[in-house]
Amino acid sequence: MTPPTPAAVTGIGCICAAGRDLPAAMSSMAAARRSPHPPVRFSTGHPKRYPVFGVPDDFVPADLLERTDLLLTTRFALAATRQSLVDAGWEPAALQRLRVGVCLGTTVGCALNIEDFYREYRGGGCPDLETIERFLRSNPAAAVSRELGLDGPVQTVVNACSSGTDAIGIAASWLRAGVCDVALAGGADELCRIIYNGFISLMITDDQPCRPFDRNRRGLNLGEGAAVLVLESPAAAAARGARVRARVLGYGSACDAHHLTAPHPEGRGLRQAFAEALACAGVAPREVAFINAHGTGTPDNDRVEGRVLNQLFPETPFLSTKGYTGHTLGAAGAIEAAFTVACLEAGRIPASAGFAEADPDIHGTPSAIGRDIEGGVALSDSLAFGGNNAVLILGRADR
Amino acid sequence: MSALAAIRGIGVVGGFGTGVEALRDALAGNPGPAVPIPGAGGVDSGCRRADTAALEAFVDRRSLRRMDTISRLAILGACLALRDAGVDRPDGRMGVVLSTGYGPSGTTLAFLDSFIDSGDSCSSPTLFSSSVHNAPAANLSTLLGVTGPNLSLSQFEVSASSALLTATLWLAEGRVDRVLVGGVDEYCDVLGYCWKRSFGEPDSPRCLPLDTRRQTARPGEGCAFLLLERPSAGRGGDAIIEAVRMGRIGGAPAGIPADRLLVLGADGHRRCAGAYVKLVPAGCAVTSLGQIWGSFPTATAFDAAAAAVLLRSGCTPASPPESDRPHSWRVPPAGEPLPSAGIGLLRVSAGGEYALTLLSKA
Repeated sequence: MTPPTPAAVTGIGCICAAGRDLPAAMSSMAAARRSPHPPVRFSTGHPKRYPVFGVPDDFVPADLLERTDLLLTTRFALAATRQSLVDAGWEPAALQRLRVGVCLGTTVGCALNIEDFYREYRGGGCPDLETIERFLRSNPAAAVSRELGLDGPVQTVVNACSSGTDAIGIAASWLRAGVCDVALAGGADELCRIIYNGFISLMITDDQPCRPFDRNRRGLNLGEGAAVLVLESPAAAAARGARVRARVLGYGSACDAHHLTAPHPEGRGLRQAFAEALACAGVAPREVAFINAHGTGTPDNDRVEGRVLNQLFPETPFLSTKGYTGHTLGAAGAIEAAFTVACLEAGRIPASAGFAEADPDIHGTPSAIGRDIEGGVALSDSLAFGGNNAVLILGRADR
Repeated sequence: MSALAAIRGIGVVGGFGTGVEALRDALAGNPGPAVPIPGAGGVDSGCRRADTAALEAFVDRRSLRRMDTISRLAILGACLALRDAGVDRPDGRMGVVLSTGYGPSGTTLAFLDSFIDSGDSCSSPTLFSSSVHNAPAANLSTLLGVTGPNLSLSQFEVSASSALLTATLWLAEGRVDRVLVGGVDEYCDVLGYCWKRSFGEPDSPRCLPLDTRRQTARPGEGCAFLLLERPSAGRGGDAIIEAVRMGRIGGAPAGIPADRLLVLGADGHRRCAGAYVKLVPAGCAVTSLGQIWGSFPTATAFDAAAAAVLLRSGCTPASPPESDRPHSWRVPPAGEPLPSAGIGLLRVSAGGEYALTLLSKA
C-alpha cells in the first residue's frame, strides 16, 4: 500500500440536534445535555412515539430555511459547508478559481422520499412534478458544488450509515491523487416519515432515549444534521497560511458480505477496516487516544462493535455520541469525525450519553463520564446496512 | 498519458440482451429482440426489459427468492464480468463500486405501499432494508463473497463516471487488487409517469441521440460492470482507462480530445444535447450509443463496457440513426478503424456537470 500523505483539515462545519455549530454541540455534550423528542415535522400512526433528535428550525440560517426548492438534507449540507468555509478562512469566490471537489454522504438525500406524490399517483391522480424536481435538484454533493459555483469532482456516497465516513476517506484520496486542490467532505441527512417507519419496522428503535453499549439498550433513536470538513493538501494549507485543525491519517473500509441488516457476528469486516486504516496511517493501536464508536444503541451493533473494540483496543477509551445527536445515518460518520477532531483539540471526551450499566456480553464499557485523553490520534468508525464498515484515523495538527 | 486501470472483464445486461456477445452484436447494429415493458394502463412504456433469467446459471435459485429486480441486475452484471475475466473466487482484495441514479425505486415504492395500505405499524421490514441505495451492492458482495471495500454512489448522470474515478484511485493506492465497478438502474411505473409528464411523447418514432433539436429519448434499464485491475496486471489487448475527469460546464476547459472517437452520452434528450454542442468542437469524430441502451442515469457504465469491446475489435460501432445533421461533428460509419489515441466517453448532467473518461488499447 502506498504510504499516504495525510490530508489537512482546515475547517469544520456542523449542525445537529446537539448544536447549531461545532462549538455549540461540544458545549452541550460537555454539559451532558440531550433533548430527544417526538417527531415534529411529521405525524405517524405508531402507538408508541419513538423519540428523535431533530434539528430546531432556528439552528438553520434563515435564508436556507426558506429554500424550499431544496430538500432539508441539502440545506443542512449547505449550512455546514458555509460554516466550514468560514472556519477555514475561504471566501467562496476564491474557491471558484480552484479545482474544488465535493464528496458527501447521505441516505435520505438520494431516496425517493415522495410519499405524498406517490399517494396521489396511486389514487389515480396526476401529481405535480415539483416533488420530483426538488429531489433531482437536491443531490447533496451536486447541489453544494452547484450552489457555490465550484469546478471539480463531485460524488454523493450512498453507503447507508457509513456514508459520511467513506466520503471523508474518499475525498482525502482525491487530494493525494491531485484530482482537486481542495475538497469539501462530509455527510447530511434529514428525518423523514419513510425512514422512521422503516427503522421501527425492523424493531431496532428504542421508545426511550437511546442507550449505546448499555446492558438495557433497546435500539436507536433517529437524528438529523450535517457536517462538512474542508480538506487540503498539507502543502497547500501551509502555502496560504491556513490553520490546520487536524489531519486525516488513515481510512479503511470493508464489507462483511454476511447480511443486509445484521453485522457479522465476529465483526469480520470491521476488523478488516480497522486493520486497513491503521496500516494506512502507520499507527499502532496503543497510540490511539480514544475511539468515537458507531454505538447506535441496537443490541446487535453494540455487541459486535464493543467486542471488537475491546479485543483490538483493550486500553483505549471509547464513547458513542449518538446519545446526543441520535443516529443521523449518512451524516453520522461526518458529524462524529467533526466531534473527534474537536475532542482531540480539547484533550477531552464527553460522557457516552445513555450508558449506565455494563453489558457482560460486550466485555468492555464506554466512558460513563467526561474525561481527559492523552495522545494525538483518534479513531471514528461506522457500521452500516449492507455490512459496510468504515474507519477514519484522525490526528491532531501537530501529529 | 499514463494508465490507471486495465479492463479485464465486462458484464452487461440491458434491453439489447445479456453478455459480451449480445453487446458486440448490438454495437454492430444488431441488438437482440426487444421485450417491451408495459407501462401504466398497459401501454408501451418505451423501455426495453433487461432480462435477469441468466442469473440462475450463476446463483442458486433459493438465494434469489427475496431478491428484487435491481439487485438481480447488479448480481448478474457482476457475475458476467467475473466470468469474462476468468475470475471465479472473489476475496478481500477485491472491491465493489456501484453507481445508481435512482436506486431500488421499485422496492422503495413497494415499501411505501406496505404502510399506505395497512398503516404505519405494518411497514415491511424486508422491503425497507432492500430499499436502501446500497442494497444491490451489499447483496452482490454477500452472494459472491466479496469482502473488500464496498461503495455505492448516486448522482444521476455522472454517477458511473464518478464510480470509475473512485475505482481507479483504489487500485492506484493499493487498497485492492481488483475492482468490480459499474452502474445499475431499473424502470418502474412512477418513473414512466414522470417521464411522460416531463417529456411527453417522443418527437420521432426512434431515438435520434445526436439530434439536438428534438426530444427523442426512450427510458432504459440495466446493469453494466467492468472488472478492473492495475495496468501491470492487464493482458495485451485489454482496454485501459487513462483518465477520469469531472468538472462544471463553463468552468476550466474540459480538455475534450480531438484525436479520439468521442462517445457522447447523448440519449435523445434535447436539453442535454445542447450541452454536448457547447463542449465538443466542430469536426470531432463522435458517436452515441444511447439508442441501444435507452436513457437512464448510469448508462455511462454501458458506454465504458462498449468502449472496451470496441477497443478490443479496433473498429467503430454502427452509427446512430440521424434524420438530418443539426451539428457539425463527423459521425464515422461502422467498421472504420478507431483512432490510435483511443476513445473518450463524455457525459453531461442536467445539473451542469460533465465527466470525461479516456480509454485506449494497452
